[in-house]
Parts: sequence; C-alpha cells; structure tokens
Amino acid sequence: MEYHTNSCPCCNNKHESDDLFCNGCGFPLKGTQQEQDFFYSERNAKEIDLSDLNNNVESARKSLYWIAGLSVISFFVGYFTAKNEQDKFAILFTSVILIGAFLAFGVWSKTKPTAAMISGLSLYVIIHVINAIVDPVTIFSGIILKVIIIVYLIKGIRSVLEVDKLKKELNIN
Amino acid sequence: METQEIQQIECSHCNGLISINNKYCSICGKEQKKDQTLIDSRKWPGLKQIGLFFAIELTCCVAALSIDNFDISTAIIFDIIMAGTAVLFFSYNWRENAHLLKWPNFSLKKTIICIIISITASIIVQFLVEHLNHSLFNTDYSYYTIYKPHKYGKYIMIISVALFPALFEELAYRGYLMQKLLTIVDKKEAIYITSILFFFMHLSMTSFFWMLPFSIVLAQIRISENTLWYGIIIHFTFNLTVCMMEISTFDTLI
Repeated sequence: MEYHTNSCPCCNNKHESDDLFCNGCGFPLKGTQQEQDFFYSERNAKEIDLSDLNNNVESARKSLYWIAGLSVISFFVGYFTAKNEQDKFAILFTSVILIGAFLAFGVWSKTKPTAAMISGLSLYVIIHVINAIVDPVTIFSGIILKVIIIVYLIKGIRSVLEVDKLKKELNIN
Repeated sequence: METQEIQQIECSHCNGLISINNKYCSICGKEQKKDQTLIDSRKWPGLKQIGLFFAIELTCCVAALSIDNFDISTAIIFDIIMAGTAVLFFSYNWRENAHLLKWPNFSLKKTIICIIISITASIIVQFLVEHLNHSLFNTDYSYYTIYKPHKYGKYIMIISVALFPALFEELAYRGYLMQKLLTIVDKKEAIYITSILFFFMHLSMTSFFWMLPFSIVLAQIRISENTLWYGIIIHFTFNLTVCMMEISTFDTLI
C-alpha cells in the first residue's frame, strides 16, 4: 500500500507515514474499514450540500441576467408609450445604464460573487423603492417575480459564504 | 539530521504536538482552527446587520428625495438622522472600529497633498457635472437655493453639505461598513462593495463617472493608512470646494 503512505486517499493532501489522521481533511488513515466508510459517507453528504449551495449561487447569478432581461422589456414598453421626446430620452438613458449595470454584475459575479450579488441586490431594491415612491401602484406589479428574484439573490449571497466554509472543511479549492 | 522549520502547536482536543498549518489533528483527527470556524459563523449575522444599516440609509435617502418642499430645516433633520445612524452603527461595533479614529503615522505632507488633489478634483467634477446636467437634462441644479433664504444660510450649508457628510459618511461607509465587510469578504471585495453602496445611496446615476472612482480612492486610502482621517479631510475639502463655488456664484463669500 505505497499509495497510502504519502497522500491522503480522500483529499490527496501529503502526510507523514505515522500520521493517524489526514491533517488536511481528517480522514482516518489508520482507521478500520468501517471508520473510513463512515468518514466517506459523511464527506459525501457534505459534497451533496456543496453542490446544492453551488446551484443556489448559480441561480442567483442567473437572476442578475434575468433582471437585465426584464429591464430590456420594461425599456421597450416605456420607450414606446412615452409621451414626449424628453421622456423617451430619460427612459433610454436610465435603461442603458441599468441594463449595463446588471449585465456587468452578472459577469462580475463569476469572479467576485459576493460583491456582485450584494451590489445587484442593492440596486434592484433601490430601483423598486424609488419606483414605489414615484408610483405606488408599481409595488404590486410583478410582485411575485420581484420576491423570487430577491429571495434568489439573498440565498445566493448566503450560499457563497457557506460554500467557502464547506470547501475549507473538505480541503478543496 | 533534518532540521524541522515548521512551527508546532498543541492540538486543541488531545494536546498532541501538530504543525501549525494542520486543518485537522493528525493524531486524534479533530478539526483545528476553531477561531476560523467562529469567524465563519459570524459572517452571515454580520451581513444581516449590514442589511439593516442599508435599509435605514435607503429609507432616509428615499424619504429625503420624495419630500417636495425640501427646505433648510428638512435638510438639517435628515443630516441629524443620518449622523445618528452612522454613530449608532459605528459605536455598536466599537471594539472593532475604535482604532480607525486614531491617526497613526500622521504626515503633514500627505495631508496637504490630499487637500490640493481634492480641491482640484472638486473643481473639475463641478465643471463637468454642470455641463452634463445642462446638455443632458437642460437643468441647472444648485444646493445653495435650499440654504439661501436663511440669514446664516451659507454657514449652515457648509455644515450640512461639507462637514456632516465628511464626518458621518466616512464614519458609516469607510468606518462601520468597511470594517464589517472585512470580516466577511476580502479587501478588494470590501472596497468595491463599500464604494458601490456609497454611490447607490446618493441616488444620482449621472454621478457614476466621478463618485464611484472617488469612493474607491477613499476606500483604498482608508485600507492603506488604517485611519478615517485622510478620508474625512478629502471628503470635507471636496465638498467645501463645491460649497464655496456655489456660494461665490450666487452670493458673496463673506
């Protein structure tokens, strides 16, 4: 069993030959088959959790693109129902910035997920609060969709933190 | 004989000697670095507190925006509420924030450079904003119209536009918010989040081109110098220059 003397069979971390446990993931190197199987099953459960959390992060990232898409729709509706040129210009100007911002947050969330999602969520909330002040009826239009997007983003932010924690526990990068 | 350079510590569970870098004890298999686990467990509550801070700030800013007859007394009321929020959140986390009020490695040279750069930047930004507002929206906006009717309007404006924001926005954003974020994310992310939220809270899209870079610079200085004072001075000088320019356009300075 030369293989077992240098790297952990569970996380490939290097260890001394007399170590009882892996110092990277806690695998019982000298444990009984039963102990090792138990460790594997616990680790598998955590890996399933990790994959669920990664899915949450992915959904939150997608919702940033969804917001950009919805902003495109509301731009077309607003632009073609605007009464005068000044309103049309204001809608065009605002929409370009907002669509650009949400697309940028979506792309940015690949490298800096926490920062991108917090920024995206804040901007989304600010837009709807301002809309609600200007026209209170907008609170109820598409409220289910708004709640879903906000919940996805909050779950996404929380999942990024949990993913970091679990990755440390499982000794994976 | 091979010399062992790696520092060893006692396992927190079985007291056996293990390398300081071990995540798990190689003798008993228990997880080490409990303080790291503690830090991780504080991240989500920390973010929730930031959420509360954000909600209060947003409510104040939107409320200020939605008031039709925004006059000098409303401006003062909102200044006091925002200042109170900043002080409350900063002092609630006093132990982690207190060191930011110290000024280690004070440098007169750096302070003077900060003042000169912020005056120059303020004049350039003011000039660009004026042109942007005029060409895009055909409007001219002036803070001074709110303060002008009052006998001591110009002095109140300096306190309300230059002094209060410099002190309390720095205390809130580069102080409380950034320090809290540093326990949750890395330095770069903390700088970006603080700056983006600072920009959002001003509820002015057109200021994107200058306020975001301005905020990133302030956050960067706060991180590298580990004090709020350079930020406060830059912020104050920047806003004071705006005040002076507006007062000199509509009134006499003295």
